[in-house]
Amino acid sequence: MVDPLTSLIIGFIIILFFIWVYLPRNGLLARLKRSKKNTHRVLIEDSLKHLYNCEYNGINCTLNSVAGNVSISADEAAKVVKKLEELELILSHEKGISLTTEGRAYALRIIRTHRLWEKYLADETSVGEEDWHIAAEEIEHRITPAQADALAAQIGNPVFDPHGDPIPSAKGELPLKKGNVLNTLKEGEFARIIHIEDEPNAIYSQLVAAGLYPGMQVRMIESSKDRIKFLANGEEVVLAPLFAKNVTIIPIKNETTVKGKFKSLSSLSVGEKGIVLGISKRCRGQQRRRLMDLGVVPGTEIEAEMKSIGGDPVAYRIRGASIALRKNQADKIYLINEE
Amino acid sequence: MNRTNGHNNEAILSLANNLRWEIGENFHDKLMESIYANATTIAHKSVTTPIEKPTFSFDRALDRIVTSPVLGFPMMFLILAVIFWLTIEGANVPSAMLASLLIDTFHPILKDFSFTIGLPWWLGGVLIDGAYLAGAWVISVMLPPMAIFFPLFTLLEDFGYLPRVAFNMDNLYRKAGAHGKQALTMAMGFGCNAAGVVAARVIDSPRERIIAIITNNFSLCNGRWPTQILIATIFIGGAVPAHLAGLVSAGAVVGIAVLGIVFSLVVSWALSRTVLKGEASAFSLELPPYRPPRVLRTLYTSLIDRTLIVLWRAVIFAIPAGIVIWLVSNITVGGESVAEIFINWVDPVTLIIGLNGVIILAYIIAIPANEIVIPTILMLTVLVTSITGVGSGDGVMFELDSVTATEDILMAGGWTLLTGINLMLFSLLHNPCSTTIYTIYRETKSVKWTVVSTLLPVVMGIAVCFFVTQIWRLVVGN
Repeated sequence: MVDPLTSLIIGFIIILFFIWVYLPRNGLLARLKRSKKNTHRVLIEDSLKHLYNCEYNGINCTLNSVAGNVSISADEAAKVVKKLEELELILSHEKGISLTTEGRAYALRIIRTHRLWEKYLADETSVGEEDWHIAAEEIEHRITPAQADALAAQIGNPVFDPHGDPIPSAKGELPLKKGNVLNTLKEGEFARIIHIEDEPNAIYSQLVAAGLYPGMQVRMIESSKDRIKFLANGEEVVLAPLFAKNVTIIPIKNETTVKGKFKSLSSLSVGEKGIVLGISKRCRGQQRRRLMDLGVVPGTEIEAEMKSIGGDPVAYRIRGASIALRKNQADKIYLINEE
Repeated sequence: MNRTNGHNNEAILSLANNLRWEIGENFHDKLMESIYANATTIAHKSVTTPIEKPTFSFDRALDRIVTSPVLGFPMMFLILAVIFWLTIEGANVPSAMLASLLIDTFHPILKDFSFTIGLPWWLGGVLIDGAYLAGAWVISVMLPPMAIFFPLFTLLEDFGYLPRVAFNMDNLYRKAGAHGKQALTMAMGFGCNAAGVVAARVIDSPRERIIAIITNNFSLCNGRWPTQILIATIFIGGAVPAHLAGLVSAGAVVGIAVLGIVFSLVVSWALSRTVLKGEASAFSLELPPYRPPRVLRTLYTSLIDRTLIVLWRAVIFAIPAGIVIWLVSNITVGGESVAEIFINWVDPVTLIIGLNGVIILAYIIAIPANEIVIPTILMLTVLVTSITGVGSGDGVMFELDSVTATEDILMAGGWTLLTGINLMLFSLLHNPCSTTIYTIYRETKSVKWTVVSTLLPVVMGIAVCFFVTQIWRLVVGN
């Protein structure tokens, strides 16, 4: 018989070992997976993508911007660019670097896969908003164009990703860039967010944390070189101008706008009624379809019927049926504000 | 003509694609909204609704009681307790009748018959002591409780009470990353895990449904209650003064069941945050109006859909297992039966987790149903310790009416209080029975989730028994 203390220690060591191997973010398996990422092919494809983004946004690309974007040293970036030239995917000249037709098509294939995957994660899974881009960055290098087409067919050939970026068609077509950055909106004007740039991640996660998403209605309060202050769905948000540059908007006409703070379904107390204005764009995929199937569409009258013992979920009377919804769902259903 | 046609198709497709970029991504929503708007206008024109029906206000009054912070939970526990009491008490008589008919009467008759027609002893053993006995055992212990529990449960569901339970429990289950309806599948699991897994169909959100299926095994099923009660009476009741024995052993059984609920919540929480993090999830819970239950229909569907299907699956698995049980005890290699060789071989390892080789072998070969674990343990203990005068031969499962006689056999097998406690823990935390495993596969259609639901509890059981044993030995001594 082994001494119980010794076996206890051995037991704890085994458990710690498994935790160390399988820990979701910092475990050995997760690290191994991450370290495999930076292969040669990934560098080439990421650089192409960056070059294409420059072209699309009308910016000049340099060796340094490539190095910065792909997070490699300038020396390595020079090697990658040389390799790209050998493959006849790019041309470098005095003004900078530009893509060849082939290079552009290659970049568009990668971008298509990337955006399709983000759309898939947003609509068909519960993967968190902050993880879409990171996951797509990995998967884009592993899926063949045929697999991407199958995925597109499966999720209904979407044309926009969840950040509001257009998804290139299978033939590599992409619409012209639309809208302006948020900073250009004048005080008192109304606009709708059409796109939130997902790179760099540090800025994107800040924008997500501020609750911004494509489809939101904004009204500018104050735009100066120090700060941008605006109402987003009636809530006040303040951003640094550098951050606001990653938000793209299109102006909207005044008559369709709603003034004041949005009222959500969760604000009803038992016995109160309200009329649906719409479902927030943050509510996606299955969850959104389910709510619409239940009849949660603009114009539907909803009454808060009763609270469960813990206060969450609450049962609502929707088109003659009692449906219990959780608070985080009711938060995403907006009601017409009658005041 | 054809050539230009092809050219036109291309142009139309590319135009369509460009237009989709123009109209934006919410045109599906717009389409649906306009359909609803149209339907509403038509309904307003042509449908008239009578002023509020009286049943509606009755519903509201009842709902106010059911969801009241003071009365809600006590009422729920009371109703569930009554159902379990009815099941356990009500099943005793028919179970005893079936056992005396199938095991005490038919089994000897079949044995005699096999001798008269001159069947070789081994064939009679395999068919009658193995296959028949296991099948008969499963029927007599499983059928009565399920035939009582499922109709009662379905009546509550039909009346509309169970959705309210899910409504009230959702707060807790949401925090564990699960669906309120998991409270219902869990309660169903106390009757039978296979039925609980099937019941997870009511959860329409994919992620929460898989969580409910994987964690259902943590509900102490009907087949495991008798094991818990027997072992608690012998070992835990025996360790305290006689006047406290009943109370303490009952408390221990309830404690194990509550531990199972705690495990199911903790595992749900862990699963929803790790492996199942990305699975799609969509919550909604309909609260149907109360209505008088349709008794006959309920009886029919719960007996056919739940009881008989589960029973049939259990019998199908029990028959081959019965054969294996008989064979391992009767095939001898070098003078020792296969069972003994295996038991002696694993004994040193199993002692580390505070169990013994007999228990491990019983859990392996009695996989079709938890109900036959104790009979198998008794048979194997007698086989290994060579006690004479109890049981009816190698490979023939048996159970004793007297608790003290059972205790004598287990003591002879070298059991201690620690073995008893570990068996109770292992009975809660081990792989689901083969009927449930098969049902999980049928329901999920996924080998991966079937393997996870099978191995996760057994790994947890081994770990828990291991730590309990080491700490016990450190604190109490051997």
